[in-house]
Amino acid sequence: MGCASSVPDRTARGPNGLNPGGDGPSDAKNLKVKLVLLGDSGVGKSCIVLRFVRGQFDPTSKVTVGASFLSQTIALQDSTTVKFEIWDTAGQERYAALAPLYYRGAAVAVIVYDLTSPESFTKAQYWVKELQKHGSPDIVMALVGNKADLLDRREIPAEEGIEYAEKNGMFYIETSAKTADNINQLFEEIAKRLPRPDTSQ
Amino acid sequence: MASDSTSSSSDSAYDSAADHNPNSDTPINNHDSAIDDHLTSLTLTPLDEDLAPEKEREIEETDQTPMPEIGVTEVEEEAADVLASEVVVEEERESNSVSATGDVGLAWREEEVEAPASPGSSGYAGERGSSNASSASGIEEIGEDQVAERDGGLVNGVADSQPAWIPGKRHVNEDDTSILWRRRKKHFFILSHSGKPIYSRYGDEHKLAGFSATLQAIISFVENGGDRVKLVRAGKHQVVFLVKGPIYLVCISCTEEPYESLRGQLELLYGQMILILTKSVNRCFEKNAKFDMTPLLGGTDAVFSSLIHSFSWNPATFLHAYTCLPLAYPTRQAAGAILQDVADSGVLFAILMCKHKVVSLVGAEKASLHPDDMLLLSNFVMSSESFRTSESFSPICLPKYNSMAFLYAYVQYLDVNTYLMLLTTRSDAFYHLKECRASIEAVFLKSNVLSEVQRSMLDGGMHIEDLPVDPSSRSGSASSHLGQHSPERFRDTYTSLGGPCGLWHFIYRSIYLDQYVSSEFSAPINTPQQQKRLYRAYQKIYASMHDKGFGPNKTQFRRDDNYVLLCWVTQDFELYAAFDPLADKAMAIKTCNRVCQWVKDVENEIFLLGASPFSW
Ligand SMILES: Nc1nc2c(ncn2[C@@H]2O[C@H](COP(=O)(O)OP(=O)(O)OP(=O)(O)O)[C@@H](O)[C@H]2O)c(=O)[nH]1
Ligand SMILES: [Mg+2]
Repeated sequence: MGCASSVPDRTARGPNGLNPGGDGPSDAKNLKVKLVLLGDSGVGKSCIVLRFVRGQFDPTSKVTVGASFLSQTIALQDSTTVKFEIWDTAGQERYAALAPLYYRGAAVAVIVYDLTSPESFTKAQYWVKELQKHGSPDIVMALVGNKADLLDRREIPAEEGIEYAEKNGMFYIETSAKTADNINQLFEEIAKRLPRPDTSQ
Repeated sequence: MASDSTSSSSDSAYDSAADHNPNSDTPINNHDSAIDDHLTSLTLTPLDEDLAPEKEREIEETDQTPMPEIGVTEVEEEAADVLASEVVVEEERESNSVSATGDVGLAWREEEVEAPASPGSSGYAGERGSSNASSASGIEEIGEDQVAERDGGLVNGVADSQPAWIPGKRHVNEDDTSILWRRRKKHFFILSHSGKPIYSRYGDEHKLAGFSATLQAIISFVENGGDRVKLVRAGKHQVVFLVKGPIYLVCISCTEEPYESLRGQLELLYGQMILILTKSVNRCFEKNAKFDMTPLLGGTDAVFSSLIHSFSWNPATFLHAYTCLPLAYPTRQAAGAILQDVADSGVLFAILMCKHKVVSLVGAEKASLHPDDMLLLSNFVMSSESFRTSESFSPICLPKYNSMAFLYAYVQYLDVNTYLMLLTTRSDAFYHLKECRASIEAVFLKSNVLSEVQRSMLDGGMHIEDLPVDPSSRSGSASSHLGQHSPERFRDTYTSLGGPCGLWHFIYRSIYLDQYVSSEFSAPINTPQQQKRLYRAYQKIYASMHDKGFGPNKTQFRRDDNYVLLCWVTQDFELYAAFDPLADKAMAIKTCNRVCQWVKDVENEIFLLGASPFSW
C-alpha cells in the first residue's frame, strides 16, 4: 500500500462546503473570490467562462452536467490581482435544487440570459430573487445579456435589462462569447466592485 | 408544458406546474372495464413471473403485418388487435366516443395538433436541438439505421448561429406517421403510466404523444386485469414491456434478439434514467399523475443514444461484468495503491477508466460497485461532452448501490481517453476531491501510469494469433506476458484467417471477479457489422445458457453458416468462443482449453485482482 500521507486529510480543514481553501488566503493585493454563474440552459454560461479562461469559443454545445469548476486570475491596473474560482452551473431544470450547493458562500453571482430568449430572461429574474433570499448578504451580482452578436434576433431590449438590474442593485452588461465582446470587461467590472479587505490589517 | 421556467422552486427540482386534472386517467379505466370481459381470451403472464411457463409469456400474434407499417389511427386498431379480437376493437371505439374527455383516441388527436407548438414552448430548448446532446461522433448505428442517413441537420432553423451543431438524437424530424420512423429496426420508448412520452430513440418525444398513449393503453389495459404484459409478437416484431412503478419502458424490435436480452436492455435504460434522476422521481407522479418528465431529462439524449448503441457493441451490456484495460501488474498495483489511499480518506469509490475499460478501482470498506452501475456511470460520463472540458462535480445515482439517493461525483479527464471518477456521499467534498486528484496525478506521473495506459490502448489485449501452442510446456516462463504480439506465430499452424484451429474470437468471463476479457477483433471479424453480428450471436447463446428452464448448462456447440460457436460454463468462468464455420469440433474444444489456460497465465495483467470490493 502506498503512503497514506500522500492524500490530503479531509478532516484537517473545517467543513467549508464548496468554498475555496488551501493555496494561500486572500490579502489586500491578491484577492481570491468564489464566483457562480447561473441561468437557463443554453444561454451561454459555459461559453462565457471558456472565453474568459481559455480565450476559446466552441460553437458545438456541451450541456453542463452538475457544475464545472475553473479558475482564472486577472491583474488590475492598481497592481492587485484577483483570482476567480468559478462555478459554471448546469442550467438544466433537474439541477435547480442543487444550486445552493454551488452559490453558498459565493462573493459574486453572474446571472446570464440570452438576449434572444424572453424565457431565459424570466429565468434570470428567478435566480436574482433566489439569491436575494438565500445568497451571501454582500454578494456582488451581475446581470449579463449574452449572444449580443445575434443582433437581428434580439428579443429583450437593452433598456429592459438595465432597468431590471438597477432596481435590484446589480450591474448590467451585454456580452458575446462568440465574438469575445465585453467578456473581459465583465470580469474586470466585477473585480472593481469587490469589497476590498481592510488595508490597515 | 411543465418546463415553465419560473416554476422551479429551490426545495424540489421536480415540482411542476403541469396539469391539474387528477381524474384525467379515469376514462381510460372505464373504457378498460368496458372490454374487460374480452380479456379472458388472452394468454397472459401471471404477476408471479417465476411460476409462468415459458409459453405463456407471449401473446402470439400471427398477423404478418409488421407493427410499424401502420399509421397513428391504425396503430390503435393493431394494438387492440394484438390484444383481442375485432369485436373488442369495435367496443373500444364505442366507449371512446362515449366518454367526454381523456379517452385514448381523442387525447392523441388533440396532442397531435398541439405538438408543433408545445415541444419547445421551450421553443427555447429547440435552440439547442430539441433536448440536446452532442458528439455526433462515433454513434453510428449500422444495420438498424438502414434508411439513408439524412438528418436534415439543424432543428428549428437555428442553423445560422450554430453551424457545427448536430443533434445527439438523430431523426428528430420523424414521428410515427413517417415511413422512415416505422422502418427503424429497433425502437426504445420510455413513457409515464399516464401515457406521456419521456424518451424515444427516434423522433421527437412530443410528436409521439399519440403513439405513447397507445402503448400506455396496452399496458394499463392488461394491468387492470391483474396481469402484466411482457411480450407481444407481431410478425417479425417483438414488443417487450417493462413496468417500473409509474414508468413504462418499451422496446419494439425486429432484430431477433432473445426476449431476455431485450428485457435486460430495458432494465439498463431504466437504470440510466435512475442514474440521472434517482428513483425519487416517482414522487412527482404521486403528486401529479400526468406529470411531464421530459424537462427533467433535458440534454441527456446523447446519454441514452450511446447506451443503446452500446447494446450492439459492448458485451458488458449482457454479460453483467466489466472489463479491464490490460496493464503490467506493477503498474496496476501502483494505480490501485493511491486510489486505495484516497478511498481511505473518505471517498466511497475511486475509479480510473480508459474509455469503457477499468484501469483500477477501489471502494471504501464494505462498499461494492455493481458492474451494471459501472457500465451506466462510464456511459454517462463518456457521452456527456462537458466532462471533457474541465473538472466537474455532479450528482449521480448508482441504481444498484442505492437507487434513492444521489452520490456526488468528481470527474476529471487525465488524458483524452482516461478519466478519474471519485464518488462520495458528501455534497461539500469538492475541494477535498480536487486535492485527491492532484495527489493521484502526481503518483501517476512518477510511476508512468498514464503512459502505460496509452501504450496498452495501442497494443490492445489478447490477440488470438498469439494463443500459445502448448501452454503447459512454457508455464511460468516470461512468455506469459501480453504485449508480445507476433502475428507470424501461427501462420503455419492453420491456413485460414484468424487464430489457430479456426479460432476467430473469444470472451472469457470470470464469475468470481465479475470481469470479462474479450479477444481483440481481427480478420475475418473486422467490420463493425460483423462484430455486431457476433455479439448478437454471443448474446443469444448467453441467454440460452442462462435460461432458468435449462438448469446449469455446461457446454453448447452450435454450427451455422456464419460460425461455430462454443460455449462452456463452469462455476468459475464462462467461455464463449467463435470459430470458422468449418472448424473441427474436437479441435475447437481443445483450443478452448488452451484459451482458458492462456487467460490463467496472464490473469495478472488482464484482470483487476485482489482487494476486490465485490463481495456480495
Ligand atoms: N451566437 C452566439 N451563440 C452563443 C453565444 N454563447 C453561447 N452560444 C451558443 O449557445 C449554446 C449554448 O451555450 P453553453 O455555453 O453551452 O450554454 P450554458 O448556459 O452553459 O448551458 P447549460 O450548461 O446547459 O446550462 C452553444 O451552442 C453556443 O454555441 C454567443 O455569444 N453568441
Ligand atoms: Mg454550461
